[in-house]
Amino acid sequence: MDINFRKIDVDAYDEDVLLETELYDPDPREPLQVVEDAKAKAAAVRTSLAKGDTVGALVTILDNPPYGPNIDEAKNLTLQTVVTVLNSTKSTDIPNVVKLLPVEAQDTLMKYLYKGMGLPGWGDVSGSVLLGWHEKLTEVAGTGCIVRAMTDRRLV
Amino acid sequence: MSNVLRPYLAAVRSTLTAALTLENFSSQVVERHNKPEVEVAGSKEVLLNPLTISRNENERVLIEPSVNSIRVSIKIKQADEIERILCHKFTRFLMQRAESFIVLRRKPIKGYDISFLITNTHTESMLKHKIVDFIIQFMEDVDREISEMKLSLQCPSSYSRRVVPYSGKSGPLESSFLLWCSSVCVEKFNA
Amino acid sequence: MVPPQVYNISQSPITSHAFNADRTQVAVSLNTSDVRILSRSGIDWTPEETLSEHDKIITSIDWAPRSNQIVTASQDRNAYVWQQAPDPLTGRTVWKPTLVLLRINRAATFVRWSPFEDKFAVASGARAIAICSFDPDNNWWVAKQLKKPIRSTVLSIDWHPNNVLLAAGSADMKARVFSAYIKDVDKRPPPSVWGEKLPFNTVCGEYSSNSGGWVHSVGFSPSGDALAFASHDSTISVVYPGGPTIYTIRSTSLPYVTLTWTSEDSLVAAGHDCQPVLFSGGPSGWQAVGSLDDSSAPKTPGGARGALTGSSPVGRLNSAAFNTFRNADSRGLGSSPGGGSQLATDTEMFTVHQNTITDIRPYEGAPGAVSRVSTSGVDGKLVIWDVNAVSGMSTRLSGLRVG
Repeated sequence: MDINFRKIDVDAYDEDVLLETELYDPDPREPLQVVEDAKAKAAAVRTSLAKGDTVGALVTILDNPPYGPNIDEAKNLTLQTVVTVLNSTKSTDIPNVVKLLPVEAQDTLMKYLYKGMGLPGWGDVSGSVLLGWHEKLTEVAGTGCIVRAMTDRRLV
Repeated sequence: MSNVLRPYLAAVRSTLTAALTLENFSSQVVERHNKPEVEVAGSKEVLLNPLTISRNENERVLIEPSVNSIRVSIKIKQADEIERILCHKFTRFLMQRAESFIVLRRKPIKGYDISFLITNTHTESMLKHKIVDFIIQFMEDVDREISEMKLSLQCPSSYSRRVVPYSGKSGPLESSFLLWCSSVCVEKFNA
Repeated sequence: MVPPQVYNISQSPITSHAFNADRTQVAVSLNTSDVRILSRSGIDWTPEETLSEHDKIITSIDWAPRSNQIVTASQDRNAYVWQQAPDPLTGRTVWKPTLVLLRINRAATFVRWSPFEDKFAVASGARAIAICSFDPDNNWWVAKQLKKPIRSTVLSIDWHPNNVLLAAGSADMKARVFSAYIKDVDKRPPPSVWGEKLPFNTVCGEYSSNSGGWVHSVGFSPSGDALAFASHDSTISVVYPGGPTIYTIRSTSLPYVTLTWTSEDSLVAAGHDCQPVLFSGGPSGWQAVGSLDDSSAPKTPGGARGALTGSSPVGRLNSAAFNTFRNADSRGLGSSPGGGSQLATDTEMFTVHQNTITDIRPYEGAPGAVSRVSTSGVDGKLVIWDVNAVSGMSTRLSGLRVG
């Protein structure tokens, strides 16, 4: 007997069902624009890093990060840029950098740290660097910051 | 504790603490039922973003939070074939006795070696930070235990000979571990 | 400073508590299907009566101060209104239940009497709120449902002082303001900041915190012109509907699940953090003032408190972590890196409540001038706090900023 009908998710056809896309406000920007923004920011970050301005670089890249579906290119580029900044910071500088970040940027940074750890072996993401940042960020921004990384549906 | 391990465990600890903010939540899907939402995944809005904490590709923890339950899955370090076998035997042994560990899941989720399911009933009857301590201590001890077993396998002592002909009954090593676990359980959860 | 009064009611969690008008009795539900009425006797509370009618966990209790009626909501989908009446057999005064026809098919999660006590609202997991009013012709409570646009379990509600507007926080991450106008019960409300014409189920506002999170608790300010809500992203948001202006305060600690206004410019919130925190502000901005729980004072006899037992790596329940940081800050004691095994010795937390605070209520003072609040929590404690006894938490404060 065919039992495949048992595996149909009947709840998905409920008209009241809450869809993934309804859980957060979509990014108002067009996908192309998002990619452009990400590229422009990556360039700005390189300039800041060349001047040794880590905080400035992080603030730039963590401002208005790409989220939502269909913009993988921008997301990858942003993650790559964030990781570059994280890797280029001396571990003794981390506590000060984290303290100087605005609250909004701290929350976004936490999201990127978890995203980086969720992709082991991806590019040049190193677990120990991310863990170091995670520890210092939690000391400053507390568990509340981690809670927001869980609740915020605007996945980076 | 080694300096490399510490930030890893600290990250797991803080993430667990943040995730263990559970409440009693009655199912929206099934009338008069109360189910761990992370397992049934019936309503998307009561699940939160799962978070991974990883040291490297082979050692990571996945924490899946929801409104009334969280699932913690651990991938234990397995450097070679012996460690792989030991780890398998070990976790299997524990999971067969899952009910004595209260928060242990009978099966790990795919890609991980062992999973825990913590629900609001657990956080109500036990101290939250003690549950976190338990998971952290488990992670510390499981690595050590496996390396010790490996060591005793490699040097032919009387100890290892008693373990190797594994007859299906608990060997001395395993029973010592079970003793440890149950003592930890009693100590932790009744505290 | 008046230390908080701590009563150990039970070993099991207290899911909800409600005092009577003169605060001589309290109704609590101890994570069971029964309501216990406790009476104050000297410095303790003694069990007076047990109200058993529900058959699943009671989620919420409310005691109408003037009409002296209790309403209870439970996960068994029902609500009962309890009234005192003489027992026909013994002649003693006992609490008699009346079933309310809620017409919901999922758990009832939260219940509150309206300010005039002629209506009450029951939140439910059926993505609806039942507004119940008394039908004298049939001698029962009838319900009318607020449904649209709620998309998930309603977790909390609060009445506007005008008896018509209702705020609701739900698991779909929204706090909403509805009109719960019932034609035969209510007079037309005067226009307010929330709107002028208010037929039943008008949505007067829909708000959420940017970082999401289920809305655990909502509350109108004493004047009804502002709305505060606590969501699971560890934030407290205060809404002034004119703009609308929303102030969101991000906490560095675990989420708050319950809040109550103490005056037009201050409120107290508590939750997984295990300590009540005072917030203050106005239409121009909001900030955290500090905790009502003075974590440095000794609370239980015999406890070697304040001593650095082991160490606290980041992410311990924040009270312990806070204590470590504070010690490091004020006394120059460093936190040595330590392992979980060292921590196995400290079973006690540095807060009065040893587990999540689930319910906070005004205890003393008129609305708008509340001087004391009561809290109950998963640790089975009932605590009465002086709102003015805010401990200076400079370390904490620096972490709490308006975002």
